[in-house]
Amino acid sequence: MDVALKIWRYDPDSGERALKNYEVEAPEWSCLLDVLDLIKDQVDGSLAYRKSCRMMICGSCGMRMDGRAVLACKERMKPIVESGHVPVISAMGNMPVLKDLVVDMSPFWTKIKNMKPWLETGYEEIPDKEFIHSQEEMNPIHKEALCIMCGCCVSECNSMESDPEFFGPAALAKGFRFVGDPRDRMKVERLEDYNDEHGIWDCTRCYFCNERCPKGVDPRDAIAKLGAESIAEGIDRDMGAKHANWFVHSARTTGWLRETELVPKTQGVVSAIQQTKFALSLAKRGKVPPPFPPHVAENVQEARALYDVVKTRGVKGAAGIVQGERALSRIEHTNHE
Amino acid sequence: MKVAYYKGCLASLSAKELDSSTKALAPKLGIELEELESVTCCGAGDIHEAEPDYYLHLNARILAYAEATGADTLMTICNVCTLNLRQANFQLQNDDALRERVSDNLETVGAPRYWGGVEVKHLLWLIADGEGYEKLKEVAHKGLKGLKVAPFYGCQILRPSKLLGFEDPDRPWSLEAIIEACGGEAIDYPAKIKCCGFPIIQAREELALGELIQPIEQSLEAGADVMVTPCPLCHLSLDAWQQKLEAQTGKSYQMPILHLSQLIGVAAGLDDSELKFRRHVVSVDPVLEKLEAP
Repeated sequence: MDVALKIWRYDPDSGERALKNYEVEAPEWSCLLDVLDLIKDQVDGSLAYRKSCRMMICGSCGMRMDGRAVLACKERMKPIVESGHVPVISAMGNMPVLKDLVVDMSPFWTKIKNMKPWLETGYEEIPDKEFIHSQEEMNPIHKEALCIMCGCCVSECNSMESDPEFFGPAALAKGFRFVGDPRDRMKVERLEDYNDEHGIWDCTRCYFCNERCPKGVDPRDAIAKLGAESIAEGIDRDMGAKHANWFVHSARTTGWLRETELVPKTQGVVSAIQQTKFALSLAKRGKVPPPFPPHVAENVQEARALYDVVKTRGVKGAAGIVQGERALSRIEHTNHE
Repeated sequence: MKVAYYKGCLASLSAKELDSSTKALAPKLGIELEELESVTCCGAGDIHEAEPDYYLHLNARILAYAEATGADTLMTICNVCTLNLRQANFQLQNDDALRERVSDNLETVGAPRYWGGVEVKHLLWLIADGEGYEKLKEVAHKGLKGLKVAPFYGCQILRPSKLLGFEDPDRPWSLEAIIEACGGEAIDYPAKIKCCGFPIIQAREELALGELIQPIEQSLEAGADVMVTPCPLCHLSLDAWQQKLEAQTGKSYQMPILHLSQLIGVAAGLDDSELKFRRHVVSVDPVLEKLEAP
């Protein structure tokens, strides 16, 4: 088949950036990476991109196709060719471009390293007997352990575009891979570190990371698990945690969100007072509903009692998110069929 | 069609104009609303993060009350409610043991059990396709006179697509189809599928404003007269926090922001008492003047 691509080229020596057209003859089974190999081999040997395993394991060939971060080795070209569409290939986002499709991943690796991505077993000498862990104990980190660190989630992270220091979805998913590991003894210390001002509460829940991950890691869910574990451990000093806790308090008191009190409960009274002018501009338009009398849901006693039931017989912390993963993975399988 | 109507927190409080315009519009589109009374907040991602098991139970309770109405559809008017309810629903529908445990707990507190018989759909989906879309074309008799409308989807009606799945999350079409059916012109710009920053606007305002500026500036540059969104949280962010962007950049945007039900409502000739534009922070008058111009 004839495959046409448009590729954003970047030459660091001249600083020139240009969208170039390419067309090659490729076998029908070709993926995007095969086509790039053919272009490099037959048309322009100076085209730069990363690759290694060619089978979705190494995570080297992350790049954008029509603005979406993908693994070049995972994208089959035949349906695209048949549709007549000519895709635009470019480097991943949120990382500086070194040349053509190659990005500088050093900030990415620094953030991964800052997570202390190794087991802290709590002993120095290796014990005589091995520890046996069941499958059930390891299941909570199954998804996070699938990460191949390709950077596709980071490429489109909306929070990182605004705060480049945000730890980001890949590093935080790696963080949960250790926080949730029953063999690790540094859970609380890790959670303290991940509650940094550029940590878990920077996430804006745009879900681009879950959408882009080629391995089903669902980094946003991992961030939510870190939030749940932090709050379960009483690490709730961040405004993000206070914001989340106020929703819980609202549900178990009035049922509906107590919107007007959300600002002082999240930011503190002083900050809320500094916002008075802004609040008044909203109040004029009815956007600041008076907290009294409270807007109470009908049969709210059920929501209050449910909280107590969950606290006594429910599952705690991140396990509440993990419990739904089997059902969700069933949807993924159904979608693939 | 009869649907169980879940309006969520914002439409009950700071975005009452969304509730009133939805209630006025729905019957014209053949959607009979049975409003859920004994329900609470869906948790908005916050309870999902702080107390995940409580989140699941609260959403199961909403689904159970929706099921008890006899309707097979629970209609939402907020992206965040849509994702939270759909996520809980998929878990409860696909894991019998989980649904049994949660239903037992619901029964303990006096709520109905949930049997898994409800589908959660946003108003947008009910009118972008099929019978709803045909009705829309009849209802929007006043038209929008070529008004240039920038669709803003927001995040949690598109992603994660395995839970939402109505349309391609990278090339959505539903808002554009509705804008055009109403006689407007849909404006294209890259940030229409990105985040408005609302979930962290209290805890990380500067970061959130860095996200919010993109759709506002891009839609303005693309020549939009007005933006429309299916989410009251995006609406609040775009409408109320726009003044903070103006203070930060020294620019004047004055971009009016409409709820989906208001945009269709204008084309359908709804009354001002139903549209309630006076509740907006950025004035909608320029839009109305353009529509009234000969």
